[in-house]
Amino acid sequence: MKKTLLNITVNDETFELYIKPKKLLVEVLRDELGLTGTKRGCNTGACGACTVLLNGVTVKSCSVLAVQAEGAEVTTVEHLADGAKLSALQLSFLDQGAYQCGFCTSGMLMSATALLNEEPKPTREDIKEGIHGNICRCTGYNSIIRAIEAVAEGKYREKR
Amino acid sequence: MIRDFNYLRASTVKEALDLLEQHKDDYKIICGGQSLLILMRQGLVAPEYLIDIKNIKGLNTINFDRKNGLRIGATTTHRAVEKSPLIKKHYSVLLDMEENLASIQTRNWGTVGGNLAHGDPAGDPGPVFIALNAAVKMANKERERTLPLEEFFIDYFETALEEGELLLEVQMPIPPPKTATVYEKFNIIKNELGIVSVAASITLDENGLSCKDARVVLGAAAPTPKRAKKAEQMLVGQTLDEKLLDKVSEKASQEADPIADIHATEAYRRSMVKALAGKMVKKAWEQAKTSA
Amino acid sequence: MKKKYTVIDTPVHNIDGIAKVTGRAKYTFDVTLPNMLHGKILRSPHPHAKILNIDTSKAEALNGVKAVVTGKDTLGVKQGIWRRYKELCDEEILARSKVRYIGEPVAAVAAVDEDTAEEALDLIEVEYELLQGVFEPLEAIKEGAPQLHEHAERNINVTRHIEWGDVEKGFKKADYVREDWFRCSSQAHVCMETHGAVASFIPEGKLTVWTSTQSHYYIQVLLAGVLDLKENDIRVISRYTGGGFGSKFELDSAQFCSSLLSMKLCKPVKIILTREEEFMATKRRTPMFYYVRAGVKKDGTFLAKEARVFTEGGAYTAMGATALYLTGFFQTFPYVWPSYRYDGYRVYTNTAPTSAMRGFGAPQATFTAETQIDLIADELGIDPIEIRRKNGMYPGYEVPGQAYIQSCGLSQCLDKIEDWVKSRGKLPPNRGIGIAAYGFMSGGIFNWFDTPYAFSSALVQVNIDGKVDLYIGSQDMGQGSNTTMAMICAEELGVHVEDIRLHMGDTDKCPVDLGAWGSRETLMQGNAVKRAAAEAKRQIMEFAVAKMAPNIVYDLDIKDRWVHLIARPERGLSYYDVVKEAIRGKDGQPIIARGHYTPHRKGMISPAYSFGVQAVEAEVEPETGKITLKHCATAHDCGQVINPLGVKGQLEGAIAMAAGYGFTEDLPMDEGKILNPNLVDYKLLRATEMPETEVVEVETYEPEGPFGAKEAGEGLTNPTAGALSNAVYHATGVSIKDLPITPEKVLEALREKNEKKEK
Ligand SMILES: Cc1cc2nc3c(=O)[nH]c(=O)nc-3n(C[C@H](O)[C@H](O)[C@H](O)COP(=O)(O)OP(=O)(O)OC[C@H]3O[C@@H](n4cnc5c(N)ncnc54)[C@H](O)[C@@H]3O)c2cc1C
Ligand code: FES
Ligand code: FES
Repeated sequence: MKKTLLNITVNDETFELYIKPKKLLVEVLRDELGLTGTKRGCNTGACGACTVLLNGVTVKSCSVLAVQAEGAEVTTVEHLADGAKLSALQLSFLDQGAYQCGFCTSGMLMSATALLNEEPKPTREDIKEGIHGNICRCTGYNSIIRAIEAVAEGKYREKR
Repeated sequence: MIRDFNYLRASTVKEALDLLEQHKDDYKIICGGQSLLILMRQGLVAPEYLIDIKNIKGLNTINFDRKNGLRIGATTTHRAVEKSPLIKKHYSVLLDMEENLASIQTRNWGTVGGNLAHGDPAGDPGPVFIALNAAVKMANKERERTLPLEEFFIDYFETALEEGELLLEVQMPIPPPKTATVYEKFNIIKNELGIVSVAASITLDENGLSCKDARVVLGAAAPTPKRAKKAEQMLVGQTLDEKLLDKVSEKASQEADPIADIHATEAYRRSMVKALAGKMVKKAWEQAKTSA
Repeated sequence: MKKKYTVIDTPVHNIDGIAKVTGRAKYTFDVTLPNMLHGKILRSPHPHAKILNIDTSKAEALNGVKAVVTGKDTLGVKQGIWRRYKELCDEEILARSKVRYIGEPVAAVAAVDEDTAEEALDLIEVEYELLQGVFEPLEAIKEGAPQLHEHAERNINVTRHIEWGDVEKGFKKADYVREDWFRCSSQAHVCMETHGAVASFIPEGKLTVWTSTQSHYYIQVLLAGVLDLKENDIRVISRYTGGGFGSKFELDSAQFCSSLLSMKLCKPVKIILTREEEFMATKRRTPMFYYVRAGVKKDGTFLAKEARVFTEGGAYTAMGATALYLTGFFQTFPYVWPSYRYDGYRVYTNTAPTSAMRGFGAPQATFTAETQIDLIADELGIDPIEIRRKNGMYPGYEVPGQAYIQSCGLSQCLDKIEDWVKSRGKLPPNRGIGIAAYGFMSGGIFNWFDTPYAFSSALVQVNIDGKVDLYIGSQDMGQGSNTTMAMICAEELGVHVEDIRLHMGDTDKCPVDLGAWGSRETLMQGNAVKRAAAEAKRQIMEFAVAKMAPNIVYDLDIKDRWVHLIARPERGLSYYDVVKEAIRGKDGQPIIARGHYTPHRKGMISPAYSFGVQAVEAEVEPETGKITLKHCATAHDCGQVINPLGVKGQLEGAIAMAAGYGFTEDLPMDEGKILNPNLVDYKLLRATEMPETEVVEVETYEPEGPFGAKEAGEGLTNPTAGALSNAVYHATGVSIKDLPITPEKVLEALREKNEKKEK
């Protein structure tokens, strides 16, 4: 089977890759680009560990063919911090202990980032629904909800 | 493991239809891939050619006008439906439905056309669209045709789509005056596929007293989304009272043809149809009273 | 009196936090080595069959396949984690002659990529002779049932008897006796990172294995046993582990098969289990059939209890022997039962082996006991809190022949939860609050692994710049023990957490610790760390004394990097300066200190016990039986809290997992085949299902623990199912004794209740 050319922008860098069309976005990010911050918990679209932003909205990168991201802009967890300067959500996750094993954390942060981009003042229900697609087996979610709330309340504005 | 395939990207409907014709017998259409990729991974689907329609121009639009009603292009994402001001204004039941459908990630990439074409009896759009009296437009290289949505679903994961045919859009007429449509699914974990679901659409007479027309559509309670037609008939010409609701619920649960699986027994699914049908009819009825 | 601490008892960021929120943390799943191959495992589709022949030739011929191994390529060692008892070591991992459950490994392939390896699996031809299977313990124990293992007649794997007091007399004296049968379901751990390993063998004879584990030491030893290598020719590395919950301290198929393949090829081989394999073929919570009979006085005083348990063992022993013991022990917890008799039978079945999972038999015990206690209280017209208070354990209580309770905050916990329940006022219809009291161990005492080492060891090195290298053997799979250990070390040495450089997850560098299971780390590794730090501090003090000339050395202390006179804290020296001089004075050698801990003379089970009470408020929809969790308030006595952020996190996480056990999670099977091996059909709570969680802290001082600390991890999983079942009972009047409490069961019970009422 023929490999296909994929033009893709990941974390503001553009790439030209030759890939098998069956490659999933998560595979290209991790295996081709070495961006292992994006995890895989199920490979069936159910857990959200592989969540990335595709043209600004969240998708499960295990459920998107990489070729379908032709010409698109992808943002992964590696791009949330600006050098050593963490994003408000990252700081808030630290303060609230909103992670334990950390395996769901990248996906959680991406969902939370998209949520706040879309709705800077979400209700608690909005937040719960915003991370509904992300399973966390460790934290019981409430610390994550608190972390997102704290950012929405503006607690990290000046720290950034 | 996903088997290798040749990937073909269509950018117009015509191009897509040509490709479908050209690779008849050995292609599969991919739109958002949210359902398809799972099947491909399990090896249940292994096409030689994968034809990508996601970027076809003009197929992801939502249109509304007072004459023709609502038209949702097949490649419109769930999220676009959810975020559409037009839909919020004129078909708010679709907003309710979308907000409870899967996770945001899936809604961002999965499409309305893909959902219908997948033919899952537990899918949410099917019952709601049928309650809204929807039709679907399909085309192959030769012709276009339109079918009432209730005739589109044939069996578990089987639809009226033929080889070489592409689903183009879903059409919904303007609801008659004094009409309201509501939908609810029963599940344990929010936004997951329903154990059963019920959509109800009630049209009242101009005085808002008796029922002029009714649709009660069951999801996940039969091989396809299914209208409980006998229950519907029991409503027509009647005024609302609890006894009637009980009878309608009972009838709807008899009309259901559910399976038993790990999530529920057949009997429980029937009980849930019963619990939901009356509730939905009542809710729609009450909303219809106050609607224009 | 409560001491003032500078480090502990203050919320501290997890020391791995930044790596985790930036995606930099490298898990086994992320390890890639040059020339690495990818492996896949062929698994039995049959629950019980003889392997007649395996033909791997076609698979080997496939382009890209580098090696195929089967049971024939192994030494055929029957391994197990209960190493002290040979007959409990019964699992080969790669079956040679017989498979006993669906998913049992029969062959493994290494190839250039995952897809090729998977393709090769389809080309391996296995000839099976199907045998009749048996799937339920109550069937498997019958005379004439198909037998899984030659050595186990009637499939009885382990039995356990616990007894104290005069049970018969107790029942005779009782005013009220009730007996109930319960069924406790299985549960999957669902670590977000599936099991996996990257093994790299080099011709010099050394094997390095990166793996997702709760105990690198156990994996090292167990691998050595099956590969006939010296323990220390194997290096196990595990820096980050994406969840464990009890599933990752036994040797698994990824570790074993990747090692075998790598040894054959002298190339690195990576095997990561798929989510489906994870469900079908890794271990899971032990299902139990539980009979409980209890006799009490009219006033609610507990007199006698009898419990009989049949556990579904699955095909192998695994950690099941421990679960069988602990469920029997914790059946009486946290109460004083003057007499008790327990008989437990672990029965082999042709299902995936059952083993350790967070709570380790205690959630089952707590669910059954607490559900029954509410039924008793209701029958006798006694308040649920009152009956618990009346019979609760207290400091100094000795569980006859089993355990000695030093610290015990149960009564404080009951008071706090009583207040909380009152604060909820009158509940709306269809709502109920259920409570459950519980306790748990802080690490096990019994040396079933038969290790010659101390249970926990730590090494501290203080360098010229005052930075402290802390080497620990414990494993952090998310529970935060790295941070806890750094805090304990910093507190004891009088420095800050930032001064500690933690080294863990590497058998080449770290001293032995038995791993993160049984809620043992805080107490056991914590004691070892505290002792090592204390010894380092003593060495520093030798030099401080010379400088400061206190009356005796004990007048000195270090806090906040300040070496000072306790009585006159302003008089002191910088920690950094003292360290510099100390090292100079030591001939230029950094300060090195070791500490270790092995519990002894502390009864049969554990050196210390946590206690707690939880209240769950739930709503039940009468038309559907659907349960919605509203609130969950918990008072937990974990001794001295080390990291408040960590304790809260453990608690909330436990609620999600334990509530799932209570009403959504299950592993239904058909003839040994798990029917929902994916995250769509296996129902985990999501953010939308979480109740509001309230934590009420109850602090006690546990003399055996570091700074008075004890467990706050697994024990928190114990109460929720029982509290939930009691909430449902108080909301609806029906008690469901069969987990999980699905809407369907509730609705059916409501229907039966109404039918009875109509009659
Ligand atoms: C975790 C998860 C949870 C979900 N939960 C829900 C839920 O609660 N409710 C619900 O309703 N759905 C649910 N879904 C299904 C989801 O809505 C559908 O997967 C999605 O809408 C399908 O759209 P798609 O564009 O991704 O289709 P694809 O996966 O690309 O295609 C699906 C099928 O339709 C065919 N097809 C697609 N477009 C066309 C077309 N225009 N013409 C002809 N054939 C076409 C494809 O060939 C394929 O057979 C869930 C899915 C996942 C993964
Ligand atoms: S790995 Fe993509 S959703 Fe689970
Ligand atoms: S932190 Fe472990 S899964 Fe979320």
